[in-house]
Amino acid sequence: MKRIISFFGIALLVTCALAQDTQLAERGKQEEQHSCVQCHSLRLVDSQRLSKAGWEKEVNKMIGWGAPVSDRQLLVDYLSQQYSADKPQPPVEFTQTTAKQKSATPSSK
Amino acid sequence: MHRRKNAARAVDGFSNRRELLAGIVAATAIATGQDLITTPGKRPLILHNDRPEDLETPPSYFTTWLTPNDVFFVRQHLPRPTVAEATYRLAIDGKVSKQIELTTADLRKLPQQTVAATLECTGNGRGLYRPRVAGVQWMRGAIGNAEWTGPRLSDVLKLVGADLNAAYVTVNGADTGVAKTPDFIRSFPMRKALHPATLLALQMNREPIPDMHGFPVRLVVPGWDGTSWVKWVTNLSVANDPNTGFFMNPGYRFPKHAVPPGGAANPADLEIIEGMPVKSSIASVADQDHIPLAPTLLRGIAWAGEQRITRVEISTDAGRSWHNAELSPQDLPFAWRLWTFKWTPLQEGYYTIMSRATDSAGNIQPIVATWNPSGYLYNAIDRVGVNVEKTA
Repeated sequence: MKRIISFFGIALLVTCALAQDTQLAERGKQEEQHSCVQCHSLRLVDSQRLSKAGWEKEVNKMIGWGAPVSDRQLLVDYLSQQYSADKPQPPVEFTQTTAKQKSATPSSK
Repeated sequence: MHRRKNAARAVDGFSNRRELLAGIVAATAIATGQDLITTPGKRPLILHNDRPEDLETPPSYFTTWLTPNDVFFVRQHLPRPTVAEATYRLAIDGKVSKQIELTTADLRKLPQQTVAATLECTGNGRGLYRPRVAGVQWMRGAIGNAEWTGPRLSDVLKLVGADLNAAYVTVNGADTGVAKTPDFIRSFPMRKALHPATLLALQMNREPIPDMHGFPVRLVVPGWDGTSWVKWVTNLSVANDPNTGFFMNPGYRFPKHAVPPGGAANPADLEIIEGMPVKSSIASVADQDHIPLAPTLLRGIAWAGEQRITRVEISTDAGRSWHNAELSPQDLPFAWRLWTFKWTPLQEGYYTIMSRATDSAGNIQPIVATWNPSGYLYNAIDRVGVNVEKTA
């Protein structure tokens, strides 16, 4: 019985952590879009691989340059989680390939 | 005030329908966060940033001495302005006796010079530093070699009666910052401004300079890093002091003393970057390529800022032995040299190929590039691993 309870307890914790991660990813992505796209594409951000200290420094620099960040901590947490130094580099993309992919996306408005 | 007005006049809005459409598309992209890359006049390039454009040349193109305009790398700090030649004016102020504005026709009336020079982004190779640093993750291809044509900057300065004893020339282009991003303004010393190879170029490889590369007028500062080569030049100012904006300080500075990788530099220790160090790159094979067991011609490039390349050595055994490569015949100041090396691998297997250049001042590429917080001036011995395989 104890074992069953502890199993469910762990499962619940894992589920909560995953849900939190998903929530961070969704809210973070929105914050990233809101904060960064006025001046540059998100590719420039998403191709970086930095430590949390590195992301803090970048986000602070961009706030100084007028980035309309509404939740600084969320943005730093999101970027540090998604694009940490241990994540693999994104695959190489070429300009025209991307143009084709974009134009093939029907939802692009 | 005077400057702002001139810059605004030089930047014409949307001069035709296609540009208007591109403007609408760009505005839509900004509103939705969806980026649409448009690279008119370019073959496919490695994409680092859709907007503004940061595009890298695949090194496989570095097998011709002149890099064609349609594969030349692009680095923008700020959104690309559209400058109409009809309304373009170059304003020159500060310590000058005639404060006048010049048109491109005025610039064409001066003696035209052509200089072959290698243009390299200050951060070329940043993506190879460990630990990683923030910035465009350029690998080997933020570099190209072109012929630049236009009047000497010294002739322009003399035309307006500039005080040639002033210490600095400050250069501003038509691009401006979004939000509170600082304007891209650079200063450089009068001695380099007066160098006969320093040009206000109107042409790149005998064609009008493409929009992405600074149409109609771009500064050419041979042997110095790309940051000095200001595009869409609209203002020159002659003064005894350099500009103190972000792109002069703390931007584009290098620590005088080595910093432990991942550490911070003491701001007082940071020096302005002038010139580029000796370097070579392997172009004909990429890291982890598969190549057939057969005689192979390895190819690449080598350059050395204001020095000349005197030797390139190649190793195909991870640096145990080195052999001289053949250098291309054009031995000019400021322009790269191509190198070739005939290699016949004796058996299949994995090989580590390396290239190492030496310049006319005796500088040799280091084994390890000097890590620095902004990832500038990467120039370690180049290295790629290849799998040599028997073909069926």
